[in-house]
Amino acid sequence: MASSKKYWKSVEELKENSSIVDTLRQNEFVEKLPEDAFLGDKETLESSSTTRRDFLKYVGFTTAAATLAACEGPVIKSIPYVVKPDDIIPGVPDYYATTIADGFDFANVLVKVREGRPIKIDPNKLVHGETNARVQASVLSLYDKYRLQKPQIKGAEASWNEVDKQITAELAKLSSQGKSIVFLTGTMASPSTSKLIAEFKQKYGDVRHVVYDAYSESAALDAFEEMHGERALADYDLEKANLIVSIGADFIGDWQGGGYEAGYAKGRIPKNGKMSRHIQFESNMSLSGANADKRIMLKPSEQAFALINLYNAVTGSNLPSKNTPVDAQIKAAAQEIKKHGSKAVVLTGVQDKNAQRIALELNKAIRSEVMDVEKPKYTRQGNDTAVAQLIKDMNAGNVGAIFTYNTNPVYTLADSDKFVAGLKKVALSVAVSMNNDETVNAMEFALPAPHYLEAWGDVQIKKGSYSLTQPTIRPLFDTRQFQENLLKWTGNNVSYYDYIKNLWTETVLNGSSWNQALHDGAITVSAVVEEETPITSTEEITENTEETEEVLTDLSAIASALVAATKSSDLELQLYVKTGMGDGRMASNPWLQEFPDPISRASWDNYLTVSQADAEKLGLENYNVANGALNGSYATLTVGGKDLTVPVYIMPGQAKGSVGLAIGYGRTKGMNEELMTGVNAFAFAVNNKAVQPATLAKGAGDHEFACVQLQNTLMGRGDVVKETTLNVYNDKSLDPKHSWNPVPVVSLDHQEVEATTVDLWDSFDRTVGHHFNLSIDLNACTGCGACVIACHAENNVPVVGKEEVRKSRDMHWLRIDRYFSSEETFAGDDKKKNEFSGLFGEQGSLDGFVQMEESSENPQVVFQPVMCQHCNHAPCETVCPVAATSHGRQGQNHMAYNRCVGTRYCANNCPYKVRRFNWFQYAENEVFDFNMNDDLGRMVLNPDVVVRSRGVMEKCSMCIQMTQAQILKAKNEGRPVKDEEFQVACSQACGTGAMIFGDVNDKESQVAAARKDDRAYHLLEHVGTQPNVVYQVKVRNTEA
Amino acid sequence: MASHYEAPIREPLIIGDKSYHDITKDVAAPVEGKANKQWWIVFIISMAAFLWGAGCMLYTIGTGIGTWGLNKTVGWAWDITNFVWWVGIGHAGTLISAVLLLFRQKWRMAINRSAEAMTIFAVVQAGLFPIIHMGRPWMGYWVLPIPNQFGSLWTNFNSPLLWDVFAISTYLSVSLVFWWTGLLPDFAMLRDRAVRPFQKKIYGLLSFGWSGRAKDWQRFEEVSLVLAGLATPLVLSVHTIVSMDFATSVIPGWHTTIFPPYFVAGAVFSGFAMVQTLLIIMRKVSNLEAYITLQHIELMNIIIMVTGSIVGCAYITELFVAWYSGVEYEQYAFLNRATGPYAWAYWLMMTCNVFSPQFMWSKKLRTSIIFSFGISIVVNIGMWFERFVIIVTSLHRDYLPSSWTMFSPSFVDIGIYVGTIGFFFVLFLLYARTFPVIAQAEVKSILKSSGENYKKLRDGNHE
Repeated sequence: MASSKKYWKSVEELKENSSIVDTLRQNEFVEKLPEDAFLGDKETLESSSTTRRDFLKYVGFTTAAATLAACEGPVIKSIPYVVKPDDIIPGVPDYYATTIADGFDFANVLVKVREGRPIKIDPNKLVHGETNARVQASVLSLYDKYRLQKPQIKGAEASWNEVDKQITAELAKLSSQGKSIVFLTGTMASPSTSKLIAEFKQKYGDVRHVVYDAYSESAALDAFEEMHGERALADYDLEKANLIVSIGADFIGDWQGGGYEAGYAKGRIPKNGKMSRHIQFESNMSLSGANADKRIMLKPSEQAFALINLYNAVTGSNLPSKNTPVDAQIKAAAQEIKKHGSKAVVLTGVQDKNAQRIALELNKAIRSEVMDVEKPKYTRQGNDTAVAQLIKDMNAGNVGAIFTYNTNPVYTLADSDKFVAGLKKVALSVAVSMNNDETVNAMEFALPAPHYLEAWGDVQIKKGSYSLTQPTIRPLFDTRQFQENLLKWTGNNVSYYDYIKNLWTETVLNGSSWNQALHDGAITVSAVVEEETPITSTEEITENTEETEEVLTDLSAIASALVAATKSSDLELQLYVKTGMGDGRMASNPWLQEFPDPISRASWDNYLTVSQADAEKLGLENYNVANGALNGSYATLTVGGKDLTVPVYIMPGQAKGSVGLAIGYGRTKGMNEELMTGVNAFAFAVNNKAVQPATLAKGAGDHEFACVQLQNTLMGRGDVVKETTLNVYNDKSLDPKHSWNPVPVVSLDHQEVEATTVDLWDSFDRTVGHHFNLSIDLNACTGCGACVIACHAENNVPVVGKEEVRKSRDMHWLRIDRYFSSEETFAGDDKKKNEFSGLFGEQGSLDGFVQMEESSENPQVVFQPVMCQHCNHAPCETVCPVAATSHGRQGQNHMAYNRCVGTRYCANNCPYKVRRFNWFQYAENEVFDFNMNDDLGRMVLNPDVVVRSRGVMEKCSMCIQMTQAQILKAKNEGRPVKDEEFQVACSQACGTGAMIFGDVNDKESQVAAARKDDRAYHLLEHVGTQPNVVYQVKVRNTEA
Repeated sequence: MASHYEAPIREPLIIGDKSYHDITKDVAAPVEGKANKQWWIVFIISMAAFLWGAGCMLYTIGTGIGTWGLNKTVGWAWDITNFVWWVGIGHAGTLISAVLLLFRQKWRMAINRSAEAMTIFAVVQAGLFPIIHMGRPWMGYWVLPIPNQFGSLWTNFNSPLLWDVFAISTYLSVSLVFWWTGLLPDFAMLRDRAVRPFQKKIYGLLSFGWSGRAKDWQRFEEVSLVLAGLATPLVLSVHTIVSMDFATSVIPGWHTTIFPPYFVAGAVFSGFAMVQTLLIIMRKVSNLEAYITLQHIELMNIIIMVTGSIVGCAYITELFVAWYSGVEYEQYAFLNRATGPYAWAYWLMMTCNVFSPQFMWSKKLRTSIIFSFGISIVVNIGMWFERFVIIVTSLHRDYLPSSWTMFSPSFVDIGIYVGTIGFFFVLFLLYARTFPVIAQAEVKSILKSSGENYKKLRDGNHE
């Protein structure tokens, strides 16, 4: 760098025209150089050892060296900060509290930002945030190159100025013509957006806001509105429940907006001899059914009658109903409800206003403490009648303009062709969307919206619970958020940030600090703020609908209406939501596509779940091919004249006469073709109802599934998943070690001793430093799979695609094994196996084991998360020829990727089969065209974890990068690490408290207590591996 | 070393009226003559198979192990099956040349050269698999304890895979030295007969300047004995160590203390079967029926029968111990082996290895050349399946049912296996055309005692 500084060399320079200075300036060498001394003297020259040849060598060498040195090195795109931003320290993550509210998922989250890139979503536990698999995966959707990137007008790229000009002009025209303008959005629950739309209405007159949920909760909203005068959903604190009776409500899944699993799980951990009891009546095998103590199969239509019968049995009233095959169980459940009184709760997923009403009335009648109607939830606000009316109006030419946001009606509406036809009669159609989805492609204006991690926002999840969304990265594309658009089009020059801030200061904050609220991500206010009524239309619709329904007050009239509306058919289709896919808005997310469904363990697909009996009747089958992969028959499913060819998955626990099909698949626009999997089940959701009469016929050919688990039953291996009943657990006369949690014994010197005490090896001295353990409570684990995605995100686990998963080569470091019982219960399986006698005959083991490979018709289900067990005596460590896997002093089983030569011996010798091999190069490989194959998608990679190359083994590291960072942080701050500070990705993501991580050398830690618990056991203890992962025996509450 | 007297009850080991010169001519004939059509046909087929296999190996190394049929549960299948199979085949050579030498079994002299050649070529095939089955074969040298600058990195001496490295490399080098030592006088013979200078030069180099002095012969005998003493424990140790790959693991079906003796018996079994296969062809093609006689075939058949029965006992012992152990995982592993999805492989193995050698109790069958050839092929198939059964059926259903799956080979798996068979035959065919395939110097030493004509002469005198 040239410097303008001038240095004085001597005092002479002060004098002007000093001859010395002049001479020096002209002449670099003051004294004459003695050239003659060596050039003039011929003798010296000749005696010089440098010959001409040497000289040429020197010249040659220096030229070559200079040329080589001048060659351009590889260009590495890393640009150092010229001026480092204050809040970014390379290598140190920042955390921002924000909120996802994408219309389907609503959650308070904490975003980990590294060097300006959001890379991980954690639950914001400060404000009781919870994350499911989709929320965990949402960070990857930010870096989706298939997003809508630039505003488009009729398919051609345009500038925002052009867009604004055209839209405002058109709006002004329409408003002067008195045409109605409609906003069709997903559930927003955003106070500021409601206000903005109200302002928009003021400006443009006839403006309607129609809220549309793809998976309808309209019935429940109607019922609640009828009872409490507010369009919202009752909230349930399941932690308080002693008895949960669910009729078709998958409340651990996405029933009424979801978010109930944490409370549920807390009540399920036996404390002081008590845990809640859960009875589930349902048709599809759902997550809730899988967790229930008692699960009763019931067709969807009969669920309505069962609900009325339950009401009758509990309250002793006599509402009109019909008999169901499970009336005895209903009566028994009613007895239990009476016993538990206000500690019981009844939930229903029957999509009928009257059914929802009866459930609410029933909970009211038993004065259920679990139900909260004072502070209801706003996470679903859709109104099916309004949507139907809108489509009618559009086709009648009564709609001048339509704006869609957070919704994809062209994909999700059963009669989307009508919607598309109606669009043609709408003068102005504008889609504001993050995805370049089906709706965007059908509209005139396609306006890119930012991902929630790039946007501002506010949301009222529950009455009085307000959350803020804040950007964590500059928008990646030329996007502008929906609310900014509204501000622009209403001629408001305020930025949306200021708008929210002003609104909040006026209403929500009530004097408290905005900065604090932004820091926390959410605020709870006791005094409920009166806000502008969202124009969610009920009043408006009632004006527009010709036949207004009379509000029924008489329950018996309600019941008879329900009975009349419920039509049974031989085969009923129940559409359901997969926890890994939701309503399909995140279908372009490869993590979610590869996420195995917790129940079926199939990834990359949706399929028709059919009961064993129905499958046999129709000749449908599932079978395994030579490499073990699952194939299933195709079937033609017909609903109301529409038919679709769907693959069949024979699902244990599916009620006879019912079939299930997950929504969210079969997307066709704006995503990688490889991710366009499955069929669009929304085509069957006529009138947005999830239950439809259907017919089914065997189709031609077989479908290839990609299942990560191919053996569904536990084969009577009760020591893998230990379980007991609450009665036995509470029996103080029993010694757990010798009854319900037996420790395996071996013979040592002809003495029976506990297997864990026999040891071939020397152990580390574990008393010094940290010793990490992970406890997994099988009672609290609902199988939701948030941990699976969290692990994916934290550890840069590659996505391998359907073909590879089908070859049993999924890379998940953490899997959740799901077992079905073969007999009615797992205890029955164990009993059957123990009674085997001889090889042949009725009790012979040959036939017996073959029978045990088949699941029961209505099995018990158990979930068991399995990751590397970090054995203190690890079988993998002894067999690696190059010592690439070895033991750490903190208990982890390390894996040195760089040292691995890939013999796979360790994986073979792992009794838990948790090691994953890089069969191919998964990053930067065209063949695996997922997020690791493009620059944008790779931005999600965690810089603390290396991306593995092909040919090496990988596995769970117990998130050593997280524990080490925590240890260093505490060390810098000169303090010991606090117990709750030690986290691993799975334990952090686990909302149910099933996973507890920590240092067992910290005697006060939760995990140290968990390890000593009576319920604690190690997986395959008899092998002698001494794992650092400990499981807690599952206790089932079978007490009636 | 041998006296000229041999009991008349012993069958002659050299048939017909052979002189020393006849032996020389007969042994040198394949080397000095031109290859016939059959040789070329077999050679071209083998070469094609070898090239195809080499292509598959390159594809694997270039793309990844994912080109094979393996998965997260079954981490080894055809690769290690082939490895153990080839190592097993390699066992007969050393057994014949070393153990039978120590036991003074003269019948070995006609077959030891080819048996040892087979050993070396088989070990070469076997050695390929541990290298190409690695995810990163270019890092394969890390399994050697080479002083390095990677820091304190060193191999893991606990790992049976490392023991394998030592076992196989020791075996290969000792076998090679032993074989070459035996070859010296025979190479010298070829050198002395060679008419073309190039040939003379080459065989001169190969024979290490053998001069045929008495001192040469004395040293030759001593070295042979010492090497036989060294090689004999290797016969037992190599497959013992290979079996420890499995026996020291924790996987039911692998974790079995019977493995070392069971594997050694199996190796000898399969090795003799392969020697049988090769020699029955070679004696015909190279006109060596006078030296590799029906008696040789019969004796080898007896060994096959005995070792086959030992292997059968081992199979049954495994089943018994699984039942007797009372360990449910162990029990299920063997139940699954015999009745699960891979039962066909198990029963194929049982049929080939345990039932088929029992035919050899019949003198008529074990002296039938066609039948012996058939059984030798059957045994080789059976022994391949034995390793497949041990490796795949144990892995595919182990402890946690959630991980259970199946294995199915890809075209690359098959290509590599076929390629090694091709490679093996390429080597063997080249050997048959360039090496003295019978240890003629040794055979000459028993001509006077065990040659048919001499025996007849002597026996006639006795009467």
